[in-house]
Amino acid sequence: MRYAGIDAGSRAIKVVLIGDDGREVVAKGQVDQGVEQDKLACRLFEKVLAQAGAGRSEVRRIIATGYGRNAVSIADTTVTEITCHAVGVRQLVPAAMTVIDIGGQDSKLMRLDRDGRVRDFAMNDRCAAGTGRFLEVVADRLGLSLGDLGPRAARSRDPAVISSMCVVFAETEITGLLAAGRACEDIVAGVQTAIAARIVAMAGRNVEAPVIFTGGVARISGMETALQAALGQPVTISPDPHMTGALGAALLARRQCGSMKE
Amino acid sequence: MSETPRQITLDEWDRAYERLQAAGVPQPVYGGPLGRHVADGDTRLLKLRFDSSLAALQLWNFLLTEEDRLRAARDAGKKLVGTMKDLGTVPVMAYSLDNLVAFYPDGAWWIPCVMEVNSGLLQIADSLGIDESFCPVRAMLGAFVTEAHFPIPDLLTCSVGATCDDFSAIAQRLNGLGHPILWWEIPHRRPPESDEDGVHLPGGFSAPRSQIQFVKAELERVAIALQDLAGRALDDEALARGIAQANHVRRLLAKLRDAAFTATPCPMPALEMLIAEMLAIHFCSDREETVVVLQELLDEVNRRVLAGVGYLPDQAARVFWVNPVADLQVLNLLEDCGGRICGTEYLFAHALDPIPLDVPPMEALARMALADPMAGSAVDRAARIVADIRRLGAEAVIVSRIPGASHCALEGEIIGEIVREECGIPVLEIEVPPLTDAVYPSLRTRLEALVETVVNRRSR
Repeated sequence: MRYAGIDAGSRAIKVVLIGDDGREVVAKGQVDQGVEQDKLACRLFEKVLAQAGAGRSEVRRIIATGYGRNAVSIADTTVTEITCHAVGVRQLVPAAMTVIDIGGQDSKLMRLDRDGRVRDFAMNDRCAAGTGRFLEVVADRLGLSLGDLGPRAARSRDPAVISSMCVVFAETEITGLLAAGRACEDIVAGVQTAIAARIVAMAGRNVEAPVIFTGGVARISGMETALQAALGQPVTISPDPHMTGALGAALLARRQCGSMKE
Repeated sequence: MSETPRQITLDEWDRAYERLQAAGVPQPVYGGPLGRHVADGDTRLLKLRFDSSLAALQLWNFLLTEEDRLRAARDAGKKLVGTMKDLGTVPVMAYSLDNLVAFYPDGAWWIPCVMEVNSGLLQIADSLGIDESFCPVRAMLGAFVTEAHFPIPDLLTCSVGATCDDFSAIAQRLNGLGHPILWWEIPHRRPPESDEDGVHLPGGFSAPRSQIQFVKAELERVAIALQDLAGRALDDEALARGIAQANHVRRLLAKLRDAAFTATPCPMPALEMLIAEMLAIHFCSDREETVVVLQELLDEVNRRVLAGVGYLPDQAARVFWVNPVADLQVLNLLEDCGGRICGTEYLFAHALDPIPLDVPPMEALARMALADPMAGSAVDRAARIVADIRRLGAEAVIVSRIPGASHCALEGEIIGEIVREECGIPVLEIEVPPLTDAVYPSLRTRLEALVETVVNRRSR
């Protein structure tokens, strides 16, 4: 039997298929998010099944998560990304006490208990500051790809100060910084620092180590360094950080079927 | 009605109303099908779910006919007093005089929600320079300009000082539009210093006697204006009667809250409880009918508690809610997500406490006014919330911010930190604009995640 997790995020849909013992990821896949997200999710799911050489009947349960979770018609049920990321991280880094997840439109911080369950969490406001969208806007404004951001930030010797926490105002500030002749590298590093500061403000006090970083933004190099500096403690990127939510959903699907001893 | 409690849509209520009518169930003068309010522009009602009891129908009809009552009172020769930024003090004084009717113009802050921004009130406020950086209560300015939601009162009072910065700015703008306001000042409440004579206040707070004397003097100025308007004396005897009747309302509410918040399954939805609580502030322009409406609601809740019936599963997550919501739909959403209200602090906890009877009436009112959660520090507010959370057994807290409201900007964080430390339960901060449609999925995620967290914590 197989169990599937579908994470319908704001930027991408991710599918993870796990086996009966829950330890092995049998197949996984990702596709950019779009208007017809149900169709996209179904197609990706079929593709991942084919990759695993499995048929639909072999999948015992499917859980959808992410902001588009309710649009995934093939899911048996839905669970929020907060719970799913915690479960996914618990599987990958059992000692984790704090999870920072930065996605396309949300950022979240989850505090876990010793058993890996969510004790408390915080999420960003409606504002896109502190999310992947902020980085997209900056990359676009600077004519860079998202993949360029990390290497550019790494070359900065004097990160710019981005004082605004609003993406729109920050974009204006970036225009000003460019006009003042500041290097792209410094601007990117400044933006990463601003995002990290936003996350730390959201976290409040008592961020307990180990801190694990998940979500698509964790794949942009330099972000974990900015978070470490802002938090004053090490931050570890989860393996396959953008897949953690889908993995958690698959593990929960398996757990819900009662096939795993708690 | 003895049927199993349910939450029903407006259409369902209108069909139920037809059955009530056919059965000859008597209705109050403000009664009628809820759907008629949609014709008045209250289109948000189409998206809400309502409790299925007759008591809830009366509550909603009572709320949605306040304007009619105010106009009828004026036609009957009564004088109208608009008591702004006053959560339960001047109305008690005004209703002590039988030819005055007090109301709460700030209540207009819900019009953009109830009429789904079609009233144009926010646009009028914008045009007057009071834009969206202010609390949605700025809709009140538009209501004064259009005169379409309440009659222009004969006297306007407004508390100022340690209450709410943006409301003061809005009221000043109103004053500038030619609506004279009798301002009365309320100082920032502080504990007495070692060399000061201290006074205990409702809610467990204390303040120096000098602050009480100051507020008392301010209220005496208001009393003179009320007397002048009424053309009769507002003496201690009249005030004492007014206080006794206000306390009757508060006692009813206390019983209702206690029964509804502590029973399992939950016997009354969050939305109806919010509206019931709001009646404590200004009696929805009819103090006697407020008693009738609350008594019916309490009887219904007691019946349900006795019968062991409710409208949510027993395992619904017990949530304590801080601050009123600009969009009423969010309270329905909490229940959709598997939560229930087990306690509230809607910024007027003091208006739910009995007014002291062991001191002269004006001093009692001064003590009550100074016990306003907004007049003290966020730490004070948090202390009261923590005590209530412990008493009511909440499993999580939601602090809902009101966009633009100055007091919400930092208070939520402070309250959240203190609750987490003292109670060790999850706290979720959300922002609720007057219409949440665009952020509904994101709010749903937050509320669902909170409920999931509560359920997972239970399995420890």
